Amino acid sequence: MPLKALDIYKLLPKKNCKECGDPTCLTFAMKLAAGKADIELCPYLDENAKSVLGATTRPPIKLVKLGVGERSFAVGEEFVLYRHDKTFYHPPGIMFRVLDTQSEEEIVAVTARVHDETLTRVGADLKFNGTAIVNTSGTVEAYAKAVAAVEKTAGLPEVLVSDNPAAIAAALVLCGSYHPLICAATPENYKQVCALAKQYGCRLVVKAPTLDGLAQLNRDCATEGVTNILMDLAPQTLGDFLYRSTAIRQLAITRSVPDLGYPVYLDATAFDDEDAAIALGIVKYASVIVTSPLSPASAKAALTLRQNIYTDPQKPIQMNPGLYRVGTPGKDAPVLMTVNFSLTYFTLQGYLESSRIPCFMLIVDTEGLSVLTSVAAGKLNEALVRDAIKKSGVENEVTHRKLIIPGYAAPLSGRIEEATGWKVLVGPRDAAEIGEYLIQEWKP
Amino acid sequence: MEPDLRFGWTGTVGEVILGATRSEGGTRSRSYRIGGGTTLPFMEKEVTSPSPLIAFEICDDPQYWSPIVNDFCGELIHDPGAWAKTAEATYGADLVRLCLTSTKRRDFSEIPELGRTVETVLASTTLPLIIEGSNEPKIDSEVFQKCGETGQNERLLLGTAEAGRYRSIAAAALAYNHAIIAQSPIDINLAKQLNILLKEIGVQKDHIVIDPYTGALGYGFEYSYSAMERIRFSALKGDADLAMPMICAPSDSLTVKEVREAEGTDRNAIAVEWEFATSLAAAVAGAEIICVRHPDTVRRLKAAITGLKARTGV
Repeated sequence: MPLKALDIYKLLPKKNCKECGDPTCLTFAMKLAAGKADIELCPYLDENAKSVLGATTRPPIKLVKLGVGERSFAVGEEFVLYRHDKTFYHPPGIMFRVLDTQSEEEIVAVTARVHDETLTRVGADLKFNGTAIVNTSGTVEAYAKAVAAVEKTAGLPEVLVSDNPAAIAAALVLCGSYHPLICAATPENYKQVCALAKQYGCRLVVKAPTLDGLAQLNRDCATEGVTNILMDLAPQTLGDFLYRSTAIRQLAITRSVPDLGYPVYLDATAFDDEDAAIALGIVKYASVIVTSPLSPASAKAALTLRQNIYTDPQKPIQMNPGLYRVGTPGKDAPVLMTVNFSLTYFTLQGYLESSRIPCFMLIVDTEGLSVLTSVAAGKLNEALVRDAIKKSGVENEVTHRKLIIPGYAAPLSGRIEEATGWKVLVGPRDAAEIGEYLIQEWKP
Repeated sequence: MEPDLRFGWTGTVGEVILGATRSEGGTRSRSYRIGGGTTLPFMEKEVTSPSPLIAFEICDDPQYWSPIVNDFCGELIHDPGAWAKTAEATYGADLVRLCLTSTKRRDFSEIPELGRTVETVLASTTLPLIIEGSNEPKIDSEVFQKCGETGQNERLLLGTAEAGRYRSIAAAALAYNHAIIAQSPIDINLAKQLNILLKEIGVQKDHIVIDPYTGALGYGFEYSYSAMERIRFSALKGDADLAMPMICAPSDSLTVKEVREAEGTDRNAIAVEWEFATSLAAAVAGAEIICVRHPDTVRRLKAAITGLKARTGV
């Protein structure tokens, strides 16, 4: 059961020392109660208070940061089972796998690709997140060489995958201070692996096929002093992953089993269809996904799906209102009005570009609502359009006074004409038809 | 450590029957009973439902179809019968969805021709059929009447009813005992409203499949994904007006910029990736019929669904 802020406050030192970063013990207690702060931030707690508070006040899924520097990323600290209940906060890191049996050139090429490749969509730069280096050779020397090749290429987050603690130890000499993720601790080797993780301050993957096994391993590793943990659920099928990952998320966010309150790790390379595993991991709670270097098509789909699912459903992505150009429009180019919901903007812009007709897009501020919803809500109205025309300066850009509005805004056409003095043309409902529409209908 | 994966829910997704075998009065080699879920998709203790089913979409006028699919399928696109047969025998689809794109032609009036096309497709495949009807409200009544009549006793799934445009299709479904697709624009409340309208004119809930509308990956798919999750969730919480199986048709996938503008061998690969990623995520969100257009998507999706249904212990 979660504790109330006042119950927590009673257990705090009440010194108001500010060392936790909060102004008073009471505000810290309120944060703890909301799962927004870590109990470890208070340096003055006695062991009893720690054990009482530890399990119930930290975020239900621990935040784990991987790597250092510009490309480091954090996962965990999630609160819901469904994105529509709030949002998913920390998108999974997608890591490309290299094998230590590959040539140095190949390893360098994959690492450089992860570093450089960018997909720009809806105004955001989407990237892959790091490299997973696998000790396929089984030898310590080959592994150290492969890790060195990755290291000299880019400062990306790394996963060190090996059954052999000696190989991990050799790799850590090279990259130990960059918060790599060691994979994996099992009931057999966890003491050795934890010792390495602790020595270098690494993050650790624990691996077991049952929830009980994972909870036990997490407890064991915590006892050894390692708490930056991710869990490999050892799935043999997509169904295994879906079931275990959902069960763990449920048990963790309700704090029923605090020992399962860690992010999930997914090795997609263990599946015949890696794309299927990646897509499933993205929608169902994976926080780090290891995959073979993806084909261009798979790469685009994976990055796009991740962007979609991790978009905050309460905050539609918005464009800045104003006048946008497609191509180099002249004084007699068409002017198309639409809303500032970014999806609407980018969809229309895509079709306008492929129509190869230079034009202006007049984007009005509907606070990110789509055409259909903003018309229904009265947010899109003639006053908004009139003000947008004045403010945008479009009157100086074109010599005509004709405005094309979206098909779904047709009910407003008369009122917009009256308010603006512009002649209103009702465009198609579906942006896909805009090219054809302009060819048929547009005359300045 | 046994998690409660029914979350205290008591509701069940309603069942809908698609297709009719000889013993059921039709001519299909099989019929499907979809729905019946009591928790999240693929989380049941015993998976008994045949869903998600994969419907392969074909059309009767390929000028309105994706050029990528047309190039891939070759001559088949001019022969709906042969295309349907290939969907069953070669692609491995569970259902065939015939889209009557010919009705998009200006002043279309060849209603008897539609009847012949439906007949041909019924004769060429033994799979249950989805018929996606008129693209023009003015001819809805004639088109659905013709399709409904031609497919009498076959338990077709007819598409698509929308708010403000559902009477003709409902009339045909009621007259010939077919099920219908009820589509709303990515909004759980509008989905519910349409189901109530259909109920009021006599369409039973076991004859309705909800289409929450599938935005393409990268172009609003997240809204569809959450709408599907919410509809499933409402059904399980006991909202009878949303307790129907769902259909997902990511047909917009093939017209997005990424796919449209791809070149050479990449075109097929990206078309399949786009359909596949959307379909898989939709299946996990609760879609029980998934419609695709690229033959290569069928095989991959089928394997993935088999994988989702397989569990090696808890």
